[in-house]
Amino acid sequence: MTTAPGGTNNFKVVLLGEGCVGKTSLLLRYIEDKFNDKHLTTLQATFLNKRLNIKGKRINLSIWDTAGQEKFHALGPIYYRNSNGAILVYDITDEDSFGKVKNWVKELKKMLGSDIVLIIAGNKVDLEHERTVPLEEAESYANMVGAKHYYTSAKLNQGVEELFLDLTREMLEKYEQNSQTEVNRTSQVLVVDDETPVQSSCCSGTKSN
Amino acid sequence: MLAHWDTPETKQKLHRRIYKGIPNSLRINTWCKLLQVNRIKFENPGKYQDMLKLGKLWSTDVRQIDSDVNRQFREHQFYRERYSEKQCALFNVLCAYSIYNSEVGYCQGMSGLAGVLLMYMDEEDAFWALAILLSDKRYAMHGLFIEGFPKLTRFLEHHDKILTKFMPKLKHHFDKFGLDAILYSLKWFFVCFVERVPFSLCLRVWDIYLLDGERVITAMAYTILKLHKKAIMKLNDMDLIVNYIQVKLHKDFGYDDDIVIYHLEKSMEELRRAKLDYPGPPPPNELPQRMLGVFVEPDKKSKIGQRAENFSETEKQTRANVILRREKAALELQELRVSQSDTVSVLPPVVV
Repeated sequence: MTTAPGGTNNFKVVLLGEGCVGKTSLLLRYIEDKFNDKHLTTLQATFLNKRLNIKGKRINLSIWDTAGQEKFHALGPIYYRNSNGAILVYDITDEDSFGKVKNWVKELKKMLGSDIVLIIAGNKVDLEHERTVPLEEAESYANMVGAKHYYTSAKLNQGVEELFLDLTREMLEKYEQNSQTEVNRTSQVLVVDDETPVQSSCCSGTKSN
Repeated sequence: MLAHWDTPETKQKLHRRIYKGIPNSLRINTWCKLLQVNRIKFENPGKYQDMLKLGKLWSTDVRQIDSDVNRQFREHQFYRERYSEKQCALFNVLCAYSIYNSEVGYCQGMSGLAGVLLMYMDEEDAFWALAILLSDKRYAMHGLFIEGFPKLTRFLEHHDKILTKFMPKLKHHFDKFGLDAILYSLKWFFVCFVERVPFSLCLRVWDIYLLDGERVITAMAYTILKLHKKAIMKLNDMDLIVNYIQVKLHKDFGYDDDIVIYHLEKSMEELRRAKLDYPGPPPPNELPQRMLGVFVEPDKKSKIGQRAENFSETEKQTRANVILRREKAALELQELRVSQSDTVSVLPPVVV
């Protein structure tokens, strides 16, 4: 999380989950309000930006989309490192994909503790009649690990906007809490910032930015 | 030339001609010759059909393959229609290969390779061409697609070494934003620049890759960054940099294909002189350990489709590597900053 000079808060969010649960579709629905079942396989993580305003604060979300095949999960730390939030997506018609969400939760808790806001998304509710992941189980699991649970359909545009909005609110809250405690603890930390324009311009051409 | 492939005159001319670009109508024959598809095909009569039959019965990767076929080159006329002839061919090649090479099975990325091959070849030829790309030592892509991606790790380390030597400021710029090379270059290594540079340029790089092998990937990675260094240095945000390299360069590379190939050739020479053209031959763990083409019945877990609870030792190693790489970069950056701020504020300046 960085704060740009204009007062915009930048948050990094990562989408994780098994292949074909709809990570890219959720993202495309949210950013471009599109649904396309012919989009590309996400082999290399890509990201999209979204700007929004919450409580008068300007916020920029960088949302990273990752490859779903199990083999790629070993590269996870590259993507969730420095993330403020994670959306763990499963397909409500695929029980195994829910199992994978549990694995991700375990890993994120272990690596990042409570620094990261977790959201679990049961996607493809347009296929409700094929549901295999029981509603209560998913919700009580989310509750237990301190994550919010959402039902979404990228296809029908259900729950997507709410999910991202809520996630952003929580990240903002967490950030404000943290910066409060940080200020109380040490104030000198704030001085060491890339954004400070006081840097001397004498050597090596490294401009402040 | 194609008729007199094995003569010394052809061999002499080949390099020049291929760097100039193979005419599209001759591409199919030339690629098959370069990969020696016919030889391996005749040495293994009936093998493809056997593998395909077994694949359809046993492959545990069919679900992933099917969903990736649905998402590969859908803008291309061959693949536009769901379950068109070429889509089915793509499924078949990957399904058969997942049995042929049981260590790799199917890995995302392979649909891109097979997809390009099938634009030029028939199903069986494309299968053998894919098999050669993975197991022939000139390309050795096997190590990219197995668990833990050991070849990716090794080539990325080498790539970073090249940046440190030839473009330290750019490397510093990447590190400043925590931009690991994986985040922008995965497809360069995995699918030889498919969907990362315009398709016409991608084919030119493939021509040369098939002739000269894995050195080409390393040199092309260097060339891309060299040609776009100035523009990238102006982007002060990880997202902007990634977007530029992943998306912008795919849409519009900004240089004519011939110019890029000219620079690619120069880069290869430059790296060769600096002895940085090649990270060295593959260690044993990057090569196939099991006999290729021998059917191994999938274990119960993968038949049921159960997901692994924990990472394997190899995967743990890969994770440790990526974490270490970032920490090392962050540390170097910190040291650099400390030494810089010393030179700014403390007199006399610290000599590094």
